[in-house]
Amino acid sequence: MNTVQTPSPQAEAAAERFALRVTARLSSGTDELPYDITERLRASRMQALAKRKKAVAPARLAAPAVVHAGGGSAALGRGGHDGNSEGGSWWNALVSAVPLLALMAGLVMINIAQDESSVHDVAEVDAALLTDDLPPAAYADPGFVQFLKTSAQAPSR
Amino acid sequence: MATEQELSDFLKSVEKRAFKRSVYHVRNEEAALDIVQDSMLKLAEHYGDKPAAELPMLYQRILSNCTLDWFRRQKTRNALFSSMSDFEGPGEDGMDFDLLEAYSGPEDGERAESAEDLTRRAQIFRSIEAEIAELPPRQREAFLMRYWEEMDVAETAAAMGCSEGSVKTHCFRAIHTLSKALKAKGIEP
Repeated sequence: MNTVQTPSPQAEAAAERFALRVTARLSSGTDELPYDITERLRASRMQALAKRKKAVAPARLAAPAVVHAGGGSAALGRGGHDGNSEGGSWWNALVSAVPLLALMAGLVMINIAQDESSVHDVAEVDAALLTDDLPPAAYADPGFVQFLKTSAQAPSR
Repeated sequence: MATEQELSDFLKSVEKRAFKRSVYHVRNEEAALDIVQDSMLKLAEHYGDKPAAELPMLYQRILSNCTLDWFRRQKTRNALFSSMSDFEGPGEDGMDFDLLEAYSGPEDGERAESAEDLTRRAQIFRSIEAEIAELPPRQREAFLMRYWEEMDVAETAAAMGCSEGSVKTHCFRAIHTLSKALKAKGIEP
């Protein structure tokens, strides 16, 4: 542990000089490594650098994917901030806005069609009531309801 | 964020020393090349986007971890494929037993005497290498990081995951052992 004898400054300086001489020898010897080893080290380096490229590339691709998932408003907001890839971000905004617009148009059309059909149904009922022999006021009469019930049961007996 | 050129330059500056350090550690050139390759890949894959100033520290840490991983794999492999040798006798004394045995040691005087200086220099280099390889792993790691990689005490401590006091102690002991061993061989670095 740290309880080892602490060397004097002179001894420490001498030790440091010795260490530096030793490592200088090591460095000069290491510079003359055999050709096959330096080549393999170079190949390893190249491989590592190639891996780095691959590691960076998916990160760039992932960003637009997130924008698509986030929807049109996120993409449009990003278009304004990102000055570097303005063309790309506008294109992304446009592309991600298309499904949103289609959805909106679909919802509006469904709403119009449903309104129309419900109005149509009500109109049909009204027309049937008005053109019937029975006056509409008869439906408010409690006696008429009783009559309908008894007349509906009578034929089944 | 480090550019590709910065990362490339950094790896180029560090690869030879990393290889040598791994060789001293695992005593096998093929394994050392694999370790360096693994560590470079990990650095580029996971930390390729870090600032260039952070790369040396990160790389030292990754290299140490890759070396440890190699030892762990060796241990598992030895346990799986050479368990029969356990019955042969009390020869098991730690995970680097085989590695120590496999190391052939310095090959003094093997080169032709093309130039006296060159041979002398090569011999000194080999002797130093051999002595460094003989150092205990933590001392060697501290010594090489501190003086060869030129990291300061705090950086070395952070990379080794120990206190600054421990780094100083490891370095001091390593220097002491080296100077004694080299003096015994009559070598003045």
